[in-house]
Amino acid sequence: MTQEFDSVPTIIGDLLNFNRNLVELPTKITVPHEIKIGSCPYDVVYEEDRIRMLHYKPLTSKQIRTPLVISYAIINRFHIFDIDPKKSWIRHMLENGFDVYMIDWGSPISMDKFLGFDEYVNDYLDNCVEFACDQSNVDKVSLQGYCTGGTLASVYSALHPEKVKNLIATAPVIDGWKDTTVVSNIAKKFDVDKMVDAIGNMPPEFMYYCFSILKPFEQGIEKYLKFFQNMDNERYVDSFLKIEKWLAETPPIPGELFKQWIKGIYQENLLIQNKMFVGNQHVSLKNIKMPIFTQVAVGDHLVSPECSMPLHYAVGSDDKNLEIYPTGHVGMIASSFSQKNVLPKLTEWLKKRS
Amino acid sequence: MNTQYDDMFDYYKHTSMFWNDMIAMMSSKPSSLMAVGPLRNFTENVKKISQELIEANQEIVDFNTQLVEYYQHLGETWVGAQKKVMSKISEVPQDAEAMEAYKRVWIDIFENDFTQMFDNKAFSENYNKLVSTELQLLKRWNTIMDVMLKSANMPTKEEIDEIYKELYMLKKRIKKINPQKKTRRGKDDSGI
Repeated sequence: MTQEFDSVPTIIGDLLNFNRNLVELPTKITVPHEIKIGSCPYDVVYEEDRIRMLHYKPLTSKQIRTPLVISYAIINRFHIFDIDPKKSWIRHMLENGFDVYMIDWGSPISMDKFLGFDEYVNDYLDNCVEFACDQSNVDKVSLQGYCTGGTLASVYSALHPEKVKNLIATAPVIDGWKDTTVVSNIAKKFDVDKMVDAIGNMPPEFMYYCFSILKPFEQGIEKYLKFFQNMDNERYVDSFLKIEKWLAETPPIPGELFKQWIKGIYQENLLIQNKMFVGNQHVSLKNIKMPIFTQVAVGDHLVSPECSMPLHYAVGSDDKNLEIYPTGHVGMIASSFSQKNVLPKLTEWLKKRS
Repeated sequence: MNTQYDDMFDYYKHTSMFWNDMIAMMSSKPSSLMAVGPLRNFTENVKKISQELIEANQEIVDFNTQLVEYYQHLGETWVGAQKKVMSKISEVPQDAEAMEAYKRVWIDIFENDFTQMFDNKAFSENYNKLVSTELQLLKRWNTIMDVMLKSANMPTKEEIDEIYKELYMLKKRIKKINPQKKTRRGKDDSGI
């Protein structure tokens, strides 16, 4: 009985702190929609339709000659790679002397509904790679693809191997049938033809639904409880709001690309079986013969390791490396863990081959 | 019972379509007297709207059934998880950390049970049917809107889609004729 009353002062104390923090918070922090994400300066060096390629300003006097082109995912925006200076993937690569380009796929509009893999791989990505080669005066780039961007980068490397010196596939979506996530459970039976026919582009709202069923209670409740508990920690709140802002900004996906994605990867699983065709060209993963570094996360609830790892075994490369990390989908690219464990291995591997 | 239900729907649909067509035919002469203008266009196409609404009836019933099943999945999982929490909570020691421990147990059990539900084949089948029916209703809504737009002499979704398609094809042709890609030759690629 006494034990039950012992906790009462703590609860009252917590409640008072909570009320004080709640009143003080808006006076300390910027309005969420005004928060600026990103710490590394860049120039927009290439634009085509809705896409942009960013070129980050160097942080070292001497740079590695082979540029690194990052093909970001078609879900959410590229900002996660540079969301916080202490967890920035971009900053780490720049500090290690890499010349970094980032492809921002932009926000497709209604008239982009007919764009598919062909345009994304053979036009946009190819033009970006060509541009980076021209700027750096080289014939090949190191190409990194994250998540769905990893799929685009893999398809590109299979179709244009002469332009890719090294391939880095970070949580790529490759073998849809092996994916064990709740997203794939829905995608496998999804009537994508009807969606594209009725709506056109895949609306962000549908993606938000998919996000909401991934760890619904940790991400939907616990995360916000933690926020209220840490309201007096300015650094925590700043980081929290940046991530929230990033999560809330997902663009639509062009209808045709989404259709090819769902059918080709999740429903018919064409890519891993080397049965995929992009712009009448056969995509064989065996054509990927350049050095390849595949990164997967055990706790990835968006792209399960079973979905990404088959790439490592399907490619024709002799020089290949597979790393499995005890973290999650975002933790692999934007966390203290990634700064300590993921990036050092990658930069060491890439420096030797650039 | 199921056959009877289907028959009732068929009967209702047939009867509605019959009178819909009859009324449209019988009223075609008086409406043609209104010469030109949006109302004339509208009266000529209004039959399409009632047709779509009649066709949508079955889909609305299906949508409701699937929506009920969707919430049933959520509700049953919630109740099951809450029961597990209640049985587990007796093991949590009643001290200053009790609230935190309760929260942890609650979140872990709910997370686990709901993830299992979202991963379940029955859930995904019903969810996809629900979305598919919703999209079918949306298509009917688009058709109805097209009738309204047509009557106001404005471009319909179908016409805009055709323009988008033409623009897309045109851009592809231009890219073929005038490729943006530059040719590079003789470049050194020797590292730092």
